[in-house]
Amino acid sequence: MISREVCQRVLAKAVSTGADYAEIFAENTTNHLISMLDSKVSNISDRVVAGAAVRVYKGLRSVMATTIDTSESGLIACALKAAEALGQGTAAMDIVLKERLYGDIHPIRVVPSSVANAEKVSLLKEGYFAAKDYDSCITQVSGQFLDVDHNILIANTEGTYAQDRQIRTRLMISAIAEKNGETQTGGCRPGARMGMELFETVSPRQTGIQAAKQAVTMAGAGYCPAGVMPVAIDNGFGGVIFHEACGHSLEATGVAYGRSQFAGKLGQKIANEKVTAIDDGTIPGAWGSINFDDEGTPARKNVLIENGVLKSYMIDKFNGRRMGMESTGNARRESYSYTPTSRMTNTYIAPGTDRNEDIIASIEYGLYAREMGGGSVNPVTGEFNFAVNEGYLIRNGKICEPVRGASLVGKGSDVIMNIDMVGQNLDMGQGMCGSSSGSVPTNVGQPMIRVSSITVGGR
Amino acid sequence: MDYQAFKNAVAQAAQAQGITEYELYYEYSEGTTVEIFQQEIGEFSSHTEGGVCFRALVEGKMGYASTEDLSEASAAALVSRAVDNASVLETEEQEFLGEGGQVYQTVERETYALPSTETIISKAMELQKALYAADPAVIDGTSSEAIATKGEIAIFNSKGLDLHYENTAFITVAVAVVSDGTEMDNDYEVKVGDPDKLELQKIAADAAASAKAKLGSDVAPTGAYPVVFAPSAVASLLGTFSSVFSAENAQKGLSKLKGKEGEQIASPAVTLVDDPFYQDSPMPMPFDAEGTPTYRKNVIEDGKFCTLLYNLKTAAVDGKKSTGNGSKGSYASSVGTSPFTMYLAPGTLTEEELLAKAGNGVYINSLGGLHAGANPISGDFSLQSAGFLIENGKKTTPVKSFTVAGNFYDLLKGITCVSNTVELPMATSQTAFGSPAILVEGLSVAGK
Repeated sequence: MISREVCQRVLAKAVSTGADYAEIFAENTTNHLISMLDSKVSNISDRVVAGAAVRVYKGLRSVMATTIDTSESGLIACALKAAEALGQGTAAMDIVLKERLYGDIHPIRVVPSSVANAEKVSLLKEGYFAAKDYDSCITQVSGQFLDVDHNILIANTEGTYAQDRQIRTRLMISAIAEKNGETQTGGCRPGARMGMELFETVSPRQTGIQAAKQAVTMAGAGYCPAGVMPVAIDNGFGGVIFHEACGHSLEATGVAYGRSQFAGKLGQKIANEKVTAIDDGTIPGAWGSINFDDEGTPARKNVLIENGVLKSYMIDKFNGRRMGMESTGNARRESYSYTPTSRMTNTYIAPGTDRNEDIIASIEYGLYAREMGGGSVNPVTGEFNFAVNEGYLIRNGKICEPVRGASLVGKGSDVIMNIDMVGQNLDMGQGMCGSSSGSVPTNVGQPMIRVSSITVGGR
Repeated sequence: MDYQAFKNAVAQAAQAQGITEYELYYEYSEGTTVEIFQQEIGEFSSHTEGGVCFRALVEGKMGYASTEDLSEASAAALVSRAVDNASVLETEEQEFLGEGGQVYQTVERETYALPSTETIISKAMELQKALYAADPAVIDGTSSEAIATKGEIAIFNSKGLDLHYENTAFITVAVAVVSDGTEMDNDYEVKVGDPDKLELQKIAADAAASAKAKLGSDVAPTGAYPVVFAPSAVASLLGTFSSVFSAENAQKGLSKLKGKEGEQIASPAVTLVDDPFYQDSPMPMPFDAEGTPTYRKNVIEDGKFCTLLYNLKTAAVDGKKSTGNGSKGSYASSVGTSPFTMYLAPGTLTEEELLAKAGNGVYINSLGGLHAGANPISGDFSLQSAGFLIENGKKTTPVKSFTVAGNFYDLLKGITCVSNTVELPMATSQTAFGSPAILVEGLSVAGK
C-alpha cells in the first residue's frame, strides 16, 4: 500500500513537534454484503473503506488525525495536523523501519472477493430456503452473506512496518415464526476468519434449520417468569455472559482510568475458583483472531483469570503507558477513523470438569438458557444485561417447556463468583462487539455453566 | 480528486457503460474531538472522512456500490461494480430515483460557526473543572469531551436532482464518575448547540447529580407496578421500536401495523410526531435520502394511527406518496426509512403530578441493553433498568439492577398520562427521539 520510505518521511513529520511516538495506520477494506428478504435477493451492499490515521503520543497525551487522501502529500498533511495539535516544539527522531513479516496463521484457500456473486447467492439461498421451508408457521426469513477483505498497514517509530490481510466470511439467517398472532424470531450466524472454505465445515442448510427451529420453538412459548433463580447457560454464544459481565471491565479502556469494577485487583480472587478465562487472538481461522493487533503487536493468548484469580488485563499501547504495563496485543479499531483501544478477540471460559447432565440435574427450579442473545455492560459498576433467545424452565432437574422474553441482569463481580459449575464441551459463538473504537468481530465461548443465582427478567 | 470532479468522472463512466438512470450520493464530514482526563488533554483527534454511493437502475434493478477512494480509476470501477451487483438482484419491487425540480422548505435556524481548536479545548476543560466542582463525590475517571463537526450531504442524479446540504454541530459530553468510598457509579449528559450558549455548569451539575443519585441503590422488589418512565427512558424505547412505523417493515411482515391506518393503536393520550424541522433537532433536514422534500407529520394522533413512514419504493407498493422519510444508515447503505425527530407530544400534567397519580410504583430513568433485550418485531421487551421507587406519589429510594418487561404495542395502549415537557436526551444527528415523562399501569418488574 504505502512504501517504507514514504512511511519514514510521514513519521518524521509526525514527531517533528516533540512527540515521543508516532504511528501510521492505513487500510483498504472491501465489505460485500448480499441480502435476501421475501425469498428474493433484495440488496447488495458493496463498500470500499480506504484511508489512513496518524497518531502521536507525548507522555500521556495522544493525538490522532485521519485522512482519506493516502498519497504522500495527503499523509504528510495529516501528520502535520497531528504534530501541530500536539503542541509547539522541535525534535528529531532517528526512524528506521524494518519490515516484519508475521506468519499468517489464517491461510485463506478461496478468497471470497475472487468468487462471483452467483456462487455466494447459491450458498445463501441454500440456508435461506432451509429456514423458509422448515415449518408452515415461518412467515418471513432474512438472510445475509458477508465477506470482508480488510487490508491494513502499520508503521511506527519503534521500527514496525507490517501489513496484514484479514479476510472474514459469514452467513446469517434470521427467521420469524407466527403462532396465534404472536411472532417470535430465531437466528443462526456462523462466521470465521476464513474464505469460502468456511462452507466445508459450516452447512448453510443446518444454519437455516437452526434459525427456523428456534423461531418455531419460541413462538409457541409462554413468557418467562420473573425472579431470582439458578440458571444453566449452554456453550457457544452463551459465553456472552463472561464477555459482558467481566470481559469489558478487564479492558484497559476502563481499567487505565480507574473506571472498572476490577481496577487494582490483579492477583486477587475475583471469580469462583471454577472459573479460568482466556482471551486468545491466535486461534487459527477463528472469527476474532488477528495475526497482530491494530498497533502492530503480535496477537497472544492471555490468561485473564486462572482458577478465580485475576491474572491479566487486556491492554493496548497507549493505555499501557498510563498503567505502566506492556501491550497484550489487544489494540483494535473498526477502521482508520476510530482511535484504537483495548478490545477482546476470542474470549472464553476454559473447560471444567462438571458434566452437563449433572448441571441440569442440580437445579430444582430455574432457567436453562440454550441460546443467548446480545447484551451490554457499564464497566464502571459492572452492571450488565443480556437477552435469552432460547430458554426453557428447569423443574426438578429436568428441562421443561420453552419460555420467551427472558433477560438476565446483575453485577459482573457477583455473577462470576456465582459460576459454581463448569462443563467440558467448550464451543464458541460469533458476534460483533461495539465499543469506543467501533464494531469489531469477536468470539465468545464457554462450556455449559451454572450460575447459582441471578435475576431473571420476565413477567 | 474533489467531489465535483469525481461527479463528472462518474457521469462520464456511466455514459461510457450505457447507464442512463443513476444517482451519486455524497457524504463528507470533518471535525475535532478533545477528551479531557484529570484536567489534561488525554485524547485529541481530528478527522476527515467521506465517501460516495453510486446506484444505478439496470433492467429495472437498482445496483449499489460505494467507495471512499475518489479517484478516476475508482469512478469507473464504481459504475461497473454497481452494474454487476444489479445483475444478481431478484426483487420485483420497483425502485425509483428522486425527481428534479421539487420545492423544499427552508431551514430557519441561526447557524453558528465552528469554534477554533483553542475554543474546543477550553470548553472541554471548563466542563471538566465544572464536573469536579459540582460535587465532592466526583472522582478521577471523570471525563469531558467537546466535539466540533461539519457535515455535508449531496445528491446528484440523472433526473435533474442536484442537492447539497451542510450542517455544523458542537457537542459536549460530560461523564461523571462518583464514589461514596465503598461504591462507584457514573452517568453522563450530552448536549448539542452553539458553544457560546451551552450552559456547561448546568451540564456538569446534571451529570454529577444523576450519577450521585444512584449511589446506595437498592434492587427493586419483584412485582407488577405503575411505572413512570422519564423522558430519556421513553426516548430509548421509541428509538428501539421506531422500526414498527417503517412501511418497509410493515410490508415485509416485520411490523404489526400493516393496514392499521385509521385504527386506535394507542391510548387517546398519545400523539406521536415526526418533525424534520423540530426546534431542538441538531440537524434539521429539508430533504430525505432520496431528495424528497420533508415535512412535519403526526404518526399517531390522539391514539389513532395516521401513517407509516414511506420512501419512494415502499410508497409505490402501497399506492401512496413518499412521506419524505427515505434514509441511509451511512452513505453506503441502501435506502430504507427512518424518522427525523420523533417525539411524543406533551400533555398537561407536571412530572410531580404524574408521580402523584402513580401513587406507589417505580420511576425509570435509565434503560440498558436495548439492542438485546427488546425485540422490535414481536414488540416484547425485558430491559435492565434503573431509577427510583415511587412511594406515596414521591420519588424515594434509588433502585437498579432490575428489569422491566412488557410489549411495545401494549405499552402504547397503556399510557395513561403524559407530562408537559418534551426532552430530547441524546440528539446528536438527524435522527433523534424525544418525549415527556409517561405513566403506564401494571408493568412487570423483576428484582429481588
